[in-house]
Order: sequence, then C-alpha cells, then structure tokens
Amino acid sequence: MSVRRLNEEQPAEFAFTPENIDWAEGQIAKYPEGRQASAIIPLLWQAQKQAGGWLPEPAIRHVADMLDMPYIRALEVATFYTMFNLSPVGEHFVQLCGTTPCWLRGADDLKDVCRKLIGEQGEITEDGKLSWLEVECLGACVNAPMVQINDDFYEDLTANSFEQILSDLRAGKEVATGPQNSRRASEPEGGLTVLKGDK
Amino acid sequence: MSETENNLVKVTVDGQAVEVAPGTTIMQACEEAGAEIPRFCYHERLSVAGNCRMCLVEVENAPKPVASCAMPVAPDMVVSTTSETVKTAREGVMEFLLINHPLDCPICDQGGECDLQDQALGFGGDASRFDDNKRAVENKNMGPLVKTIMTRCIHCTRCVRFAQEVAGVPEIGAIGRGEDTEITTYLEASLDSEMSGNVIDLCPVGALTSRPYAFTARPWELRKTETIDVMDALGSNIRVDMRGREAMRIMPRNHDDVNEEWLSDKSRFVWDGLNTQRLDRPFIRQNGKLTPASWDAAFDLVESKLKGKGAATAAIAGDLVCAEGQFALKGLMDALASPHVDCRQDGAKISGPRGNYIFNASIAGIEEADALLLIGSNPRLEAPVLNARIRKRYLMGDFPIVAIGEAVDLTYKAEFIGAGADTLADLLAGKQSFADTLKNAKNPMIIVGQGALTREDGAAVLAAAIELAAKTGASFNMLHTAAARVAGLDLGLVPGEGGHDVAGIQDAAQSGTIENVIFYGADEIAGASLGDAFVVYIGSHGDRGAHRADVILPAAAYTEKQATYVNTEGRAQMTEQAATPPGEAREDWKIFRALSARLDVTLPYDNLAALRAAMYEAVPHLAQLDDVIAADAPVAPPHDGLGAEAFTYAVNDFYFTNPIARASAIMADCAKAKNEPKNRGDSSEGTGTDG
Amino acid sequence: MMRFLKMLFTWWHHQTLSTLLHTRRRGKLMGVDGQGNCYYEDKHGASINGKTRRWVLYNGDIETTRISPEWHGWMHYTVDETPDQAAYVKRDWMKPGQINMTGTKDAHKPAGMADTTGYADGYDAWTPK
Repeated sequence: MSVRRLNEEQPAEFAFTPENIDWAEGQIAKYPEGRQASAIIPLLWQAQKQAGGWLPEPAIRHVADMLDMPYIRALEVATFYTMFNLSPVGEHFVQLCGTTPCWLRGADDLKDVCRKLIGEQGEITEDGKLSWLEVECLGACVNAPMVQINDDFYEDLTANSFEQILSDLRAGKEVATGPQNSRRASEPEGGLTVLKGDK
Repeated sequence: MSETENNLVKVTVDGQAVEVAPGTTIMQACEEAGAEIPRFCYHERLSVAGNCRMCLVEVENAPKPVASCAMPVAPDMVVSTTSETVKTAREGVMEFLLINHPLDCPICDQGGECDLQDQALGFGGDASRFDDNKRAVENKNMGPLVKTIMTRCIHCTRCVRFAQEVAGVPEIGAIGRGEDTEITTYLEASLDSEMSGNVIDLCPVGALTSRPYAFTARPWELRKTETIDVMDALGSNIRVDMRGREAMRIMPRNHDDVNEEWLSDKSRFVWDGLNTQRLDRPFIRQNGKLTPASWDAAFDLVESKLKGKGAATAAIAGDLVCAEGQFALKGLMDALASPHVDCRQDGAKISGPRGNYIFNASIAGIEEADALLLIGSNPRLEAPVLNARIRKRYLMGDFPIVAIGEAVDLTYKAEFIGAGADTLADLLAGKQSFADTLKNAKNPMIIVGQGALTREDGAAVLAAAIELAAKTGASFNMLHTAAARVAGLDLGLVPGEGGHDVAGIQDAAQSGTIENVIFYGADEIAGASLGDAFVVYIGSHGDRGAHRADVILPAAAYTEKQATYVNTEGRAQMTEQAATPPGEAREDWKIFRALSARLDVTLPYDNLAALRAAMYEAVPHLAQLDDVIAADAPVAPPHDGLGAEAFTYAVNDFYFTNPIARASAIMADCAKAKNEPKNRGDSSEGTGTDG
Repeated sequence: MMRFLKMLFTWWHHQTLSTLLHTRRRGKLMGVDGQGNCYYEDKHGASINGKTRRWVLYNGDIETTRISPEWHGWMHYTVDETPDQAAYVKRDWMKPGQINMTGTKDAHKPAGMADTTGYADGYDAWTPK
C-alpha cells in the first residue's frame, strides 16, 4: 500500500461526464477566487469514481487543468492519499483492516479467505468483480474484524460470513452491510445490559 | 522603519542577549548572536519548509526542541543551541537522514562541498547503528544539465521550492509518501527553465549534480577566480573554477543587487565553449583561403590595407567585448580620423544621453516598482535572472504587468495588450486603460527590449517609450542583451560626424566607399553584406566574423583578461583573469595598441594602468566599480514616426546568442533537448547503487 | 674511483660498501632473479623481529619496486620458500613486473588529468574551413 506509483498501463484520455463537470463546478465554487486548487481532493475522488474505482493518469491531468494548477501538484496529492487507487481495482474493492484490534479478532483468517477467493493483494479476479488490499485502521475497532467494500463497512466478520459476502457480491446478490453477527451497530453482543429502562 | 526599531524583541541565545525585529525566526536570531545552526531545507531565498528538522534548538519552557527555521521569536525567549538536548536531537536527526543516504561519497560529485558530509562530521554521531537494507530510488530525468542520483536525496524540497517560487516553472514535486517519497518532475519531463542549473547549487547533497561536470574534477583541485559573466547584459557575478588552463565549471557568486545568488543556464554551462573553436594564432587569407600566419605577417597585411585609408575604414564592436578594448578601438579609429564606428551590431537605434540606454531604476529597484510595462522585451530569454527578479516582485502581489509584443510565457502573469508599435502609440495617447494604471502607480517601470529598437522605426519606439515614461512618471529602463553594449555607448562607439552606422557601413562596403572593416568580436553580421571590403576580425572564437575575415587577430575571451564590463543598469564591474589567452592570442587592447604603432598613429598608453587612466579621464564613472551612477533624465530622440509592425524579440535561440555559446557542445545539447518533445517516462538510469 | 666514492657516500646508485662487506661476511645467496638482483639470507640465522634477516642486492639502481614478483613474497616473509624451492606458479593472467614510474614521464595519468599544456584532452582550436 505504501509504494504509490502510477499504473503502467493508462487509458489514452479522460474527461468528466457533463454531470460530473456540473458537480465539479459546484465544488470549485465553494472556494474563493484564486483558491480553486482547494477542490483538488473532491475532484480527484469524483474522477476515481467515474473511472471505475481508480485514478488514471489522464484524469489527474484533467483535474489539474480544471483547477488551473501544475500537473505535478495534482500528482503529489494523488500519490499521497491512500484513498486514491493508482491502479485498477475490482468492481467490489475490499479494503481489509489488518491493524491490531482486527488482527487480534481474526483478520488473518479474513486474509486467507481473500487469498482463496481472489488471489494476492492488488490482483483482480478474472471476472473483474473483486480485488482486495490490506489497509490500516478504518476506525471500526469495536466491531472487529471488519472490511470496507466500496463505500460500505462489513463488520463482526468470521471467515465463513466473509466468504459468503464475497460470493454473494460476486453473484450480484444483495448483501446486508454493517455487523454480520446480528447485533445492531456496536451494541453489546446478546443485547443491552444497561440503560434498559427508567429504573 | 523606526517603528520596528522601537519594537525590537530581546532574545537570549546561549546566554548572549540580542535584539531582533519581531517576526524574525529563531534561526536568524541565533545567527545574529553568532551561533551556528545546521540546516538542510532552510534557504534564505526560498520559503520556509521546516521538514529536515536539522535546525532543532532548545527553547526554555518549550516541551521539546523546536525547529528554529520556522519558529518566530517571542519576547524574552531563552534559546540554547549547545545544550545536551540539542546535541542529541541533532545526532538523532542526522542518524535518520543517514539511514537512507548511501555511503558513496568517494564516487559522489558533491564530495568535498556537501552539506550533509560537512554537517554529519560536525553534528552527527560517530558510527551507524543501522543494519538493514537501505532504500534505493530510481534516478529521474531532469534534462541535459541536471544529473540525478535520487538515492542520495534527503527530501529537503529546496529544488521543489526553487522551481515553484524563483524559476516559476512548478514542474518538480515530491510524490508518494513516507519512506517512498520521491522527488521528480511530472512523468520525468525535463525541466523547462533557463535557470534549472541553480537546483544543483541548492541541493545540499549529491542528488542533483551537474551533468556536464560529472566525474571531471574535485572541488579542492580547482583554482577559483571571481569574475563577471558576459552571456547577458546583467553582469552576473560568477566564479570560474579552473584546473590547469581549462575551465571546469562556472558557479554564481552572491550579489544582492545584481543576480542575488542565481545564474542562468547559459552563463553557468557555457564553459566548454571556452575550450573549443578558439582562435589561437593569427590567420591571413591567401588565395581565398585562411592560412595560419605570424603576428608580423598579419600586421603587415593590415598595414598595407589600412595605411592612408583611415577614412575608408570602419569598425564594429561585438557583444562580448570589454570596455578597455572598445576604448582602444575608439582611440585607434579617432587617430585614423574615421567616424565610422558602431558598437550596436544588432542595429538598435539608440541615441541620446546616458539615461536613454541604461536600466535607470536598477535591477534591485524592480522590487520597489508597482506597475510594469514591457515593450518588445522577453526578459525570460534576454536576462533570465532579471526575469526571476520581476517574478519575485510579482509574487509579492499588487504588481500589474502589461507587455507589448508576441505573447510568451514569462513565468508570471503578464497581460499582452498588443503586438506592435501601434499599441504603444495608443498607450501614449491614453487610449489604453493601462496608461492610467501607470499614471496612478507610485513607482511604475517601463522596460524596453532590444527587439523593439532594432527595427526601422526603432528611434520612434525609443522616443515613444521615453515620452510615455515622462508622461506617466515611470522610470525608463532599457534591457540590453549584450554585455558590451552599455560600455560601448558610454565610450561613444557610435558614428561620429558624417559617420556610418552598422547598416550604413554595410551599404558603403558594398558600394566600395568603405574599403576596410574591423570586426571587434562582431559575429552577428552576415559576411556577404560587406561586399568586397577587407575585413579584420579581432576576437576569441572562430564564428561568423572569422569566416568572413581576411585577417584574424586572436584575442582573449572574457575569462582571460582583467577587463571592465558595464551591465544594463550602468554598473561597471571588473572581470579577473582566470587563465591566459590560448596560444598566440593576446589581450584585446594590446592588439589595438600594436596595430596603432604599425599604422603610425601610436596610442598613448603602454600598459593597462595607463589605458585605464586615459579611459577614466574620458568616462569617469567607469572607475566607480560596482556603483550604479544615476544618469540624466532620458530625452526623446528625433524620429520619423512609429510604424505598426509587430515587435519581435531580440533573443529567440536562448542557447546560441553569442560565439562562445555557439561553440559550446553543452549549449547545443540544451537546445536539442528543448526542441524535442518532452519525453515522458523513459529515463530510468538505475539507482546510483549500481555503480 | 668515482664509483668507489659514490659507493661510500651514496646509497641510491648501488649498494654501499658496508652492505657489500656485510654481505660477504654473513650473506647466504638464496637466488638470483631475472634482472640479476641477488637475494640473501643471514647465514648465521641472525634475526629481526624473530625472522631470519633477508636482503637484496640490486643489479643496478636501488629501487624497491625492482624486486621481481616471484621474489616479492619471500622478501616480505609472506612465504619462506624461495621461488626455486617452492613451485612458484606463474599464471597466464599475471603481468610481468614493472617498476614504479611515479615522477617520470611514463607516470600513470588518469583520464581527465591536466598535462603540461594545462588541458586534459587539449583544447580545440578553430581551423578555417
């Protein structure tokens, strides 16, 4: 994850869709004249969404041109933040937390599942559906172990439930987000023990 | 000023009390107190980055050491730069910096003049505790001048800030994060700047070094001569490093009023031109071919042609020649009773008092200006370091810049309001809104380039610019492109009563009324335009002038004589001799002196001191070295009215403006790299650990 | 006569008289190399630093780098057998010994070093076309 370089194969060009241009102009308008460069992160994010979850090099130039900033400055931002993927990812991009709480609660088992169903980190399955990456803490330690798939958190995972989720996603089925062990949010397992009533 | 003086802040550094202005950084206060603070990322002419952490000092009541370069002083601050904490902090920082820095000093070009080397010795620990593998970074392509060994980079970002702030080409950046941070240009395109060589000086380690100088010499074996550059009319202060008789490299010297500490690439990398295409013995043309000859034979031939033909002899002085040589040439022509002398080989229509042809506001004065009009000048190519000064002023804000001429990228925002002289006429008539801006500004500047003066209506452009300056209260400034020009004009190397100017000399040579032409380092004139005239070329390099010549008398280049040059602001500076002229070449003034004896009009000086005494008597301000002498107010010269043609710029081929640059292989490489499309991502040359 | 005086007072033309006398008295000739240098060992086993004293009489100028490569090891106590005793093998990649040329016109000149003209590779004078 730490070595962040542009992908070798790049599309020839990139341009925002008309809707995205409207959206981008709205973002740019939030900042005072001469400070348009402040909109770089939302625009790169939108470009990543449009390009299918990763940020191609022409997109970086396209965004830099829109914001009237030097290409290298945009490249610096894109290569700094780990939220920008510089090489293609699967349709369902799994960010697997491997930091201590998740690791203690069995993140290694989830990694084995990924290796079994997807392959090594960064590899995309042949159908283009899945890819995975180990990331640092995503801030859901109380529901460890957990993964983030695209925009959603899947928490309280076991190897089995995780395997089920990946298979379902691959098959195009609906999957419930959040805790997978039937608890609500981060409430205690087995229901509330305090704050149950007036007394 | 008095206000800040009253508000001085008292700071104690290592027990010594100093008073500094508020807003001063701790580092500056420490320097005031004489304490040495090690640093890598901090550079006084760049913005503060504070990322190397080498300048840590201890401040009383601060929980941990603070980076002194980025922290302003507070009243009654007590700073320690010698405490045990500071010592261990520095050792710690140094140890981290050295973790990923290769131990390749013996093969590193920075060795011997390396900040990291020096500071590791002065402030680092004595041994490494690092046992793991060091990282290796792929080298980046930064063009033909800057060699990169990126494994050595310590990420001080000086080069990044220089490109962004001073050079105005924000093309270098730091990509990636953490241990994998790398300094690069966007997809490794080469750096599109005329000042890229300065990153070599700025780099505190050997990550960015000079490609042409690579592996040729060590700093301690070089003989250093402090002298003046002549590649443009700025008179940048330089240091020529010689080994034996060979110039190995050229470095800038600090001069706050001229070049600060920057140098243009042409000035810095032209040194190989000093060793090639040299005229090292006299030549005479026999049967249509130039053949080597003795000085005597050459003088015999000149004598036979020139004797008694004084009035049919003309002289043209070139772009790189010194004041002494021009004074001797002028003396010779006066003695021959020839009025046909001109130092404006580009044909610029410059006339009038001194104020008409110098940069009156002075180069440092750019920083005080509050509006700027450029007329037919592209300072980025004509004087890159002066252009950096304009950019410096531009970055301070509130500096409207308007230009007349073809739209070009000047590295700062300039509005091009028109291309030709008609726009200038509009401005003068008050039809352009910028005329009001100029009028309302307190300290407006007008800079006129040579491109606007070499035209048919050059005199009218000059007059219009001077009138506009007078009308708006702006300072009138002329940006020359030739280092020799101001001295030439000061010394009166312009046609005398009934004399021909450069164009006139060419016409008269074709019609035969001028039979002899002396080219003193003049290489920008097409040889064919002189008809059948007998041409004597006196200069250092075999270039256009030498090819046309009938007699070649070899002279000294600018590093080979002690000579006076006057820069575009009228500042007289003296070069020092770094080497003797090669072969049989002689100093310029000696050639004119010897020639005058042959022609029975012996010049009245036998040595340089006597010549200078005579020259100072004629033009006293040349004696005031390094002073800018205020000139009389400019006076609009007579003219035949403005044309309407678009202005062209004086410099188009930045790397080939003079015979020395044209002889330089490095300059040729630069021009080639410039004309090639930017090559993206095909440059990996290994990591520097493979050697 | 001159040669004799030189022998008495100089040491760089030839071995001195005392060395010669010492050699007569105590020297045991161990061998002679291709250049005619004679290698001696103390016949009574007198030692320096616990090693039997060894010395060489040069056949000509006194110049330590004239010691032949095959004798160098013996001379410097790297080996105890002289080249004739031990099977000294001359490999085909070994170059013949060469004396130190420092200070002579044949001295090694690294690339980029300025010569007497003041230029490393000379400079390029203009020649008319």
